[in-house]
Amino acid sequence: MPKQKLRPLPSAAFQILLALVDEDLHGYGIMRQVKEQTEGRMRLGPGTLYSSIQTLLEGKLIEQVDVRADSRLGQERRRYYRLTSAGRKLVRSEAERLADLLRVARAKKVLRGAHV
Amino acid sequence: MSEKIYSWFLRLYPSRFRESYGGEALQLFRDRARDEKGFFERLRLWLDLLADLAISVPREHYHFQPEFFGVSAQRLEGIPAFFVLESGSPRPGALFSGGILTLVCVITFSVWLSQPALSRPFRALTSQSRSPASERPSAFRRAPSHATDSTREKSSALRPSDVPAASSRSTEAEAGDASNVVPRQDSRFFPPPPPPPQPQAVQPGGAADTTILVEGKDPGVNAAERHRVIDGAIENLKQYYVYPDRAQKVSEGLLAHERNGDYDGVTNGKTFADVLTREMRGASQDMHLVVVYSETLLPERPRSSTVEDLVRYRNALEQQNCTFEKVEILPHNIGYLKLNAFPDPSVCESRARSEMRRLNDADAIVFDLRENRGGSPDMVMLMAAYLFDHPEYMYSPRENTTELSWTRSPVPGNKLADKPAYILTSASTFSAAEHFSYDMKMLKRATIVGETTSGAPHSGVFHRIDEHFGMGIPETKPINPFSKSDWVAVGVEPDVKVKAADALETAIKLAEIKLGKK
Repeated sequence: MPKQKLRPLPSAAFQILLALVDEDLHGYGIMRQVKEQTEGRMRLGPGTLYSSIQTLLEGKLIEQVDVRADSRLGQERRRYYRLTSAGRKLVRSEAERLADLLRVARAKKVLRGAHV
Repeated sequence: MSEKIYSWFLRLYPSRFRESYGGEALQLFRDRARDEKGFFERLRLWLDLLADLAISVPREHYHFQPEFFGVSAQRLEGIPAFFVLESGSPRPGALFSGGILTLVCVITFSVWLSQPALSRPFRALTSQSRSPASERPSAFRRAPSHATDSTREKSSALRPSDVPAASSRSTEAEAGDASNVVPRQDSRFFPPPPPPPQPQAVQPGGAADTTILVEGKDPGVNAAERHRVIDGAIENLKQYYVYPDRAQKVSEGLLAHERNGDYDGVTNGKTFADVLTREMRGASQDMHLVVVYSETLLPERPRSSTVEDLVRYRNALEQQNCTFEKVEILPHNIGYLKLNAFPDPSVCESRARSEMRRLNDADAIVFDLRENRGGSPDMVMLMAAYLFDHPEYMYSPRENTTELSWTRSPVPGNKLADKPAYILTSASTFSAAEHFSYDMKMLKRATIVGETTSGAPHSGVFHRIDEHFGMGIPETKPINPFSKSDWVAVGVEPDVKVKAADALETAIKLAEIKLGKK
């Protein structure tokens, strides 16, 4: 039973899914990737991060792949997470939903600057 | 140091979260602490962490929806099963804390219960189902605000038994008006029955556990009800009182008082009943007349005893060893018998005889009736028979004098007929126990040691006047061969007056002196 609803997909959960699109990551890796892809605006704390990971695991949107050390961070073994096909499908549909919203916003000239 | 502080913060999360992700959260903290050095970086790290804690801790506690673990998968329809919320067993520390907390709660609750003022509402809830029969709600005994203990006791003596009238003597009474006649068995005796499903209201005029208990205050009596009660009392007196001339005198007295407006200020039911009793006794010089007031509704026609009543009564007596609380031989071969009622011989005769046989070789016998609440006159006769070697007349104010008024002495094999006898009494010694004590005293067969007995008005037959008032009227003319009037309203005076608590010791000393002289 998922402890939190994933519809609508929370912002943190969507960012985590996006972070995992390119590669498998451990928790700190996800945090850094999210920070990077949001240009530093979102820095996931451990509580929010692992709470979201748990929800996504329960929703079978991500899965734990293995436990291994990250050579760049030392010898500590870390759990790595991977996007599932359901997760990939969801992240795509969420992105399309946002793209639709963006189109509407553009049509209504809500946004400034043509390049956005 | 910082890591230690953060690990303390992690304790704010639920245990299931800490178990799953505590290590990783700490790892992530270490990673960030390693990468984010410098004052501002660190400051931002801690601000992030605190903001994260503020958001995620409540969410973890609030949003968690427990899942059932365990046997749910194997559960079959209709078969009871256990479910648990946590898959792991509690930590020893949690068990210890839980144990301490439970202990504190139990002690607090016990202390609270022992404070009568604080725990009264709770006691009121529990007492109905757990209290012994002597404390069960009944028509008379639940009216403390209107009666002193002694008057309440006196009133309750008129309660007919809720047990079947099985003795031979009861047939005479039962042949009369079935709705109003008291079984000849002493109604005062109510052995605690097995826990009844509902509290019972024992009514004057018959057992009536279907009666609605009227709780609360005395509704009071108005002029119309006072008139109705006086009319009803006069009618009953004329119809049933064994002395018609006195009935006439009492009636005239009551009417005269009513005409004079002497009762106008009496609005309390219990007080009115007491006033009428006093005046009736004054006019008739008969202490057996009594008017009683019941807060509970008196049924017009009492429910007759059922097989279940009989079974319940029998079981209750057997469970209590027929109220023979103690039967033993004391030093100097003094027999001691503590009897807390005179139970119906139809159930308890063999028990009584076997207990008396146990004392047969004693050199003296002490009957401890200090807690005896009365019972059957037939049992009084049965017990008395052991103290005589010839049939002896036993006076009972409720019985017409018949051949049954003589004890069935001698009892075959009995050796107690000529042994010194002592009867211990208290202010609670009641009714049939007073009957036994009074006759033994008058016959000079036993020495009464203790306190003056309660003076129960046991002799009247109960007649309902209306839904709250009833009266006891003597319908028999027993012969009292003794010069002194009986115990009704005055009690039996002891030969040796000591506190009830000291009575046994005193009686033993008296017996020892007596046996030493022999």
